[in-house]
Amino acid sequence: MIKLRINGEERALEVDPEMPLLWALRDVAGLTGTKYGCGEALCGACTVHLDGEAVRACVTPMRRCEGRAVTTIEGLSKDGSHPLQKAWCEQGVPQCGFCQAGQIMTAACLLANVPKPSDEEIDRSLAGNLCRCGTYTRIRAAVKQAAGIEEGSR
Amino acid sequence: MTGALSRRGFLGALGQTALGGLVLTVLPREADAKDEKDKAAKSEAPRVDKPPPGFTPNVFIHVGSDGKIVIMCHRSEMGQGVRSTIPALLAAELGADMAHVTIEQAPGDPLFGDQNTDGSSSIRNAFVELRQIAAVARTMLVAAAARRWKVAPESCHTEKSKVLHAGDARALTFAELADDAGKLPVPKPESVKLLAWKDLHLAEQSLPVIDAPAIVNGTAVFAADVKVPGMLIAVIARPPVVGGKLVKFDATRALALPGVKQVLEIPAPTPPYVFQPWGGVAVLAENTWAAMRGAKALALEWDLGKNASYDSQTYKDELSKSVSSAGTVARKVGDAEGALGKAAKVVQAEYHLPHLAHATMEPPATLAHVTEKHCELWTASQDPQTAREVAAKTLGLQTFQVTVHVTLLGGGFGRKSKADFVAEAALLSKLAGVPVRVQWTREDDLRHDYFHSVSTQQLTAALDDKGAITAWRHRTAFPPIGSTFNVAATRPGAGDLQQGVTDLPLTVPNVLAETCEAPAHVRIGWMRSVYNVFHAFSVNSFIDELAAARGVDPLAQRLELLGPPRKVSLSELGIEKLANYGAKLADHPVDTARMRNVVERVTQAARWDSRKQEGRALGLAAHRSFLTYVAVVAQVSKRADGRIAVDEVWICTDAGTVVNHERARSQMEGAVIFGQSIALHSGMTMKAGVAEQHNFHQYKLTRIGEAPRKIHVDLVESEGLPGGIGEPGVPPVAPAIVNAVFALTGQRVRELPLEKHGLV
Amino acid sequence: MRCAMLVAMSLSLWACRSPPAAGTGPTQTLGPGSPDALRSVEAFASIPEPAARSAALFSEATKVFLHPRCVNCHPNGDSPLQDAGHVHDPPVARGKDDRGVPGLLCTSCHQDKNLELARVPGAPNWHLAPRSMAWQGKSPRELCEQLLDPARNGGRTHEQLIEHVSHDALVAWGWSPGHERAAAPGTQEQFGKLVAAWLQTGAACPEGAVR
Repeated sequence: MIKLRINGEERALEVDPEMPLLWALRDVAGLTGTKYGCGEALCGACTVHLDGEAVRACVTPMRRCEGRAVTTIEGLSKDGSHPLQKAWCEQGVPQCGFCQAGQIMTAACLLANVPKPSDEEIDRSLAGNLCRCGTYTRIRAAVKQAAGIEEGSR
Repeated sequence: MTGALSRRGFLGALGQTALGGLVLTVLPREADAKDEKDKAAKSEAPRVDKPPPGFTPNVFIHVGSDGKIVIMCHRSEMGQGVRSTIPALLAAELGADMAHVTIEQAPGDPLFGDQNTDGSSSIRNAFVELRQIAAVARTMLVAAAARRWKVAPESCHTEKSKVLHAGDARALTFAELADDAGKLPVPKPESVKLLAWKDLHLAEQSLPVIDAPAIVNGTAVFAADVKVPGMLIAVIARPPVVGGKLVKFDATRALALPGVKQVLEIPAPTPPYVFQPWGGVAVLAENTWAAMRGAKALALEWDLGKNASYDSQTYKDELSKSVSSAGTVARKVGDAEGALGKAAKVVQAEYHLPHLAHATMEPPATLAHVTEKHCELWTASQDPQTAREVAAKTLGLQTFQVTVHVTLLGGGFGRKSKADFVAEAALLSKLAGVPVRVQWTREDDLRHDYFHSVSTQQLTAALDDKGAITAWRHRTAFPPIGSTFNVAATRPGAGDLQQGVTDLPLTVPNVLAETCEAPAHVRIGWMRSVYNVFHAFSVNSFIDELAAARGVDPLAQRLELLGPPRKVSLSELGIEKLANYGAKLADHPVDTARMRNVVERVTQAARWDSRKQEGRALGLAAHRSFLTYVAVVAQVSKRADGRIAVDEVWICTDAGTVVNHERARSQMEGAVIFGQSIALHSGMTMKAGVAEQHNFHQYKLTRIGEAPRKIHVDLVESEGLPGGIGEPGVPPVAPAIVNAVFALTGQRVRELPLEKHGLV
Repeated sequence: MRCAMLVAMSLSLWACRSPPAAGTGPTQTLGPGSPDALRSVEAFASIPEPAARSAALFSEATKVFLHPRCVNCHPNGDSPLQDAGHVHDPPVARGKDDRGVPGLLCTSCHQDKNLELARVPGAPNWHLAPRSMAWQGKSPRELCEQLLDPARNGGRTHEQLIEHVSHDALVAWGWSPGHERAAAPGTQEQFGKLVAAWLQTGAACPEGAVR
């Protein structure tokens, strides 16, 4: 039995301590917003926060999460009001949408640590998040919008 | 592909969806009542006879007496924005306020016409028909209002879910009119008047991305997100080589793992493979991790079969050999061989592109719930009607006993048109006796794809003593998609060459195109822009090489070959027929003026003429595909560590009438990144029959740090017939990048990806 | 591969500077031995001259130090290396604390041990050695001098050096890298003993190039 907080709620999940957090979230806790894209920490689709740090849930074992706080895309805000969520919609970032939860969660961690990231910092922090539809230029714009950085500045 | 919606769709018949919670049923019209009641009687599917109160002229539109409007989207959403476009188009033609509209995803059913979301066809194949559907509803609502007001219908119009009378303030909401409208006869779609395009006001709007709010809060539903009670999750260990068969297996260790419940063998498919399940051993478990562990814990012995000798390096040599001798003629003007024989100079190049994988971000998945007389599927399918037929066939059921719900697709690119992953789920649910979700792993997705064809192209041109181009010969060898459907297809067919070879205008007096032998050793499938990928690559690279050989500017070379503005005839092309993406040539001619226009616009925007003074290395490419004209300029430079960077890309597109400018722009941006992956990184190679690339560390894609700083999208304003949007942006990107690399370094790359040559 | 070449070169005479601790005349060595196997301290007892023995012990230890499993996390640049020494993919950056950048820390992906299904390697405290302790591309002699320089070895005493190489859990990963990655030769225990013996015999550096 692994006890942890998920999106602010105390949960006790009957899972193997080695089970990756991704599958505990999706298959046991019923939270399917976090996606499976590769299982090898290569694509970032499974990114969630563990005590505020971005981690790839597909390789993070449940024993690492014991007694800690996990935030998934569903818990990033109560109502889609996180500046990144708003910017993502305003900029029309998503195409198929499958990678976007991971992109947003990674970007949220960046902005929590670096409120006004440079272009280079944005690209570095999001380097592990693949987008096959190619929404990168809009992701950059949305991160800058959420950070209150004016378009055209570097 | 006719693309036309069936008349039944307009007349309405029994149709139902429960996805999203709203149950929508259309009562059978008199003409169809008998058939439908018979069908319904045979089906075990639940029926609802009473539709919600309101007005439902056809399966696409329901206007509730409470003012709620339901619009069905019949095409699959894979990021191209079809759910943000078709309903908006229908709402605009209807005069409905989108704030009152709920969009429902249509199940797979011929009632909805052609649902195969493929070939960049959702708008272009049904532009008029879709508008007619909405116009029927508008006409009936207006008729109902006009009756009440005792005025001529012509004096009324619709706006923001109301019917308004010109000249006075009278207005009635759709809600108020719905019941009355529902009592009126439904006019024939061909008979209703469409609004003028400008009166739809779509061109000036930035339409919202309908699913964005659900995507950003994690509630958007993809195939693997659907759950039903009692379900198991299946991960399948598949034959490592195409055509391989299972000899024996031992599931003892797998079954001992906690959570693993069943292990089932799936029979091997027999060629032609079409959409048969791929064979292997399935591990069914309570959670995905257990299923993955179980699949790894199987002891498996395979008879690898005859494709075990498939080696990409050897095959490349075979293709090279294949194009070095004459093939089957597909296009002939004059006497190219004769002209080549007399040439003062011959320019020749051979281009090779590897297999490519679709690599959608969402690996294929389907949930199937099979009972004795029914199968319900939740799937990320681009072609839900074929999925329905394939599932029915797999299960020995009738098609009407299968219900297909279409979820959002985490990318398609053609992979999810193939129903193999649907058939697997149906079969396993039947064998297991419980609902089963089949989850493809990333390794499965890359290793067992319907790969985009590997190809080799030989292009040869003759120059006379004045340097004029007197002949152009194109030999193309690639295992065709036909091989997946017919084992006898061992070389491309003439029809395959309409994608970039036989539809290419060339002001050259002697032209020859030939197809050459290239048997398939893997499943071949169609991938975003299909054969245009390598035909555009080779043609655009060769034009650049000719320019260099002749000492002319690549832009001038291209315009010279394109020739004067004209609609190119079949005889000029040297062919007898042109499939033309299913469209009539009269409607969508090969129009050199449109091509010239996008080339000129994009080179102007990229400051082509001043590039050398500014020290910028630019590459140009242009291609017509899916009835749309696209020209691309790429700018490259070298990073501090010497690797090539794609700095900036300009892409100009003439797609005729564009319904959703915002999504069209995003498709062009995405096509640039997709094409960049092809140019720089991606390649599937096989060794001893096995795909060598298993995950993203081996099959590489463009990452954010490599994306151009700016992608400039220019959409040509046009009221011409709509062309495709989803695919046409792709073909010119890779050659534009490679041409830019030549401009920067003097190195001509003829084999992709650039990574192979240490350039990135 | 470069590592093997450097090991071989370190055992021959190079005409640069003569380090004070090196002996004069022909250096006594055992020959390079196999790159995949680590000889024990005892094997070097046959070298009579203490400085030569000390240097030879260090040279043996460089089979581990300069092995990809170690060099990959002691890179010169901003990025760790992988496998035989290519740049880490996905592209990751050192960050100001050698632990990655916000949103993409080393521990965003790397766990405290290797995993059953996923190939991503793991060990406690996964991170990069700071730039001052980079030794990618260094010759054995340069590495030797670096390891003995408190400004470039994390301020470690000889005891702390021995402790680090013998018992650090991240260092230990080099011998159990998992998923078909080539392990460093020998065992951590053997390695620790070689380093201890080297330090205890005067910490002599082998002859060799210094750039």
